[in-house]
Amino acid sequence: MDQNADASFDPSKNYDEDTLAQQREIEKEIAASQAMVSQLHTFDEIVEEYSQEDAIYRQKIEDLKSRFKNLRKTRGDGNCFYRAFGFAYLEKLLNDGKEYKRFLDIAQKSKDELIGLGFPQFTLEDFHDTFMDVVKMVENPGTVDGLFQAFNDAGLSDYFVVYLRLLVSGHLQQNADSYVYFIDGERSVKEFCSQEVEPMGKESDHIHIVSLTKALQIAICVEYMDREGEKCNSFKFNPFESLADDTDTAPAFTLLYRPGHYDILYPL
Amino acid sequence: MAGSALKRLMAEYKQLTLNPPEGIIAGPVDEENFFEWEALIMGPQDTCFEGGVFPARLTFPSDYPLSPPKMKFTCEIFHPNIYADGRVCISILHAPGDDPMGYETSAERWSPVQSVEKILLSVVSMLSEPNDESAANVDAAKTWRDDRKGFEEIARVTVRKSLGL
Repeated sequence: MDQNADASFDPSKNYDEDTLAQQREIEKEIAASQAMVSQLHTFDEIVEEYSQEDAIYRQKIEDLKSRFKNLRKTRGDGNCFYRAFGFAYLEKLLNDGKEYKRFLDIAQKSKDELIGLGFPQFTLEDFHDTFMDVVKMVENPGTVDGLFQAFNDAGLSDYFVVYLRLLVSGHLQQNADSYVYFIDGERSVKEFCSQEVEPMGKESDHIHIVSLTKALQIAICVEYMDREGEKCNSFKFNPFESLADDTDTAPAFTLLYRPGHYDILYPL
Repeated sequence: MAGSALKRLMAEYKQLTLNPPEGIIAGPVDEENFFEWEALIMGPQDTCFEGGVFPARLTFPSDYPLSPPKMKFTCEIFHPNIYADGRVCISILHAPGDDPMGYETSAERWSPVQSVEKILLSVVSMLSEPNDESAANVDAAKTWRDDRKGFEEIARVTVRKSLGL
């Protein structure tokens, strides 16, 4: 940051390239040390991540332990929300044929909707095809292990994430009037989508979660673990709440939010 | 990862061959390596670059299209948005956040649904309408702003050189 003050600062040199190269290095380190989606962890393992002095977090892990059996981590690469959402949901579909049929139908139709919004057909199809290939793994091989392999294969996992990002972007653009006041800076909804939603590695906020649950009509629960209070705060994202018929609103799955990061929780 | 990049690059190459955009030819330098392309860009009509044929290299990362390629002209070209060594510096070649030139927030950025064709079309419009707000070549930006006739004269010399005249 002090490059300008440094006597060796060379204005003809392109320092941005160095900064970008350094960012790439950090990304590589994260990729080497964290699986895109991990195996199941117990809370006895998770609690060890916090020092003995960190009473608030240790207490909150105990709270989670009283309600959840396991935690599955996702890589901290800015795509964690999408990866956690995708994995947790498809894992749930392994045991819910009716919901799988409903989702398959939404997923199929979404391609034409996105093309209708102006996404280029040629490149969109590339992502949609891979997305559908991953979704259909719910049928074949139809195992958690199959999904685990797919979500740890960058070619499949990252393409899946891209398509979820496009679905969020599509929903925001289709409902721009409802979201425009929740966007920071003097940006249009379209600008927000191209800067904060569509590019890989851009982190998710409340607005992204609301959009994805609405776009796919899936209710989810998020446990917020921060320094406030004694227990985690549960927050339900229910896309059906504005409808008169809110029969099926049990959350499909629960994610854990620790500031800046999402993982998957498995109830007792 | 490189597998999906290769598949995508092969599909884009096919698309560009079947439906080439006006004034652009592009494809792999060598069909054994789809991550290194050569492009020929015709100077747009009614601009000082008209009549020129400018060769450039595109280098794709192994995680393309999640990350954008890099592009570099391999000929002499004096332009506000091209570094003296030929590197092209326009917003679509950068993801948001990778902000070497402090582009305006509304400028079009790289995202995985963009394509080689979109990049090359942006380069053609860059030739027609240099952006002197975020200049990679400060001399060229100054000349473009303060001495338009001089800029056009340099461009015409470049055009002739690009044709080997």
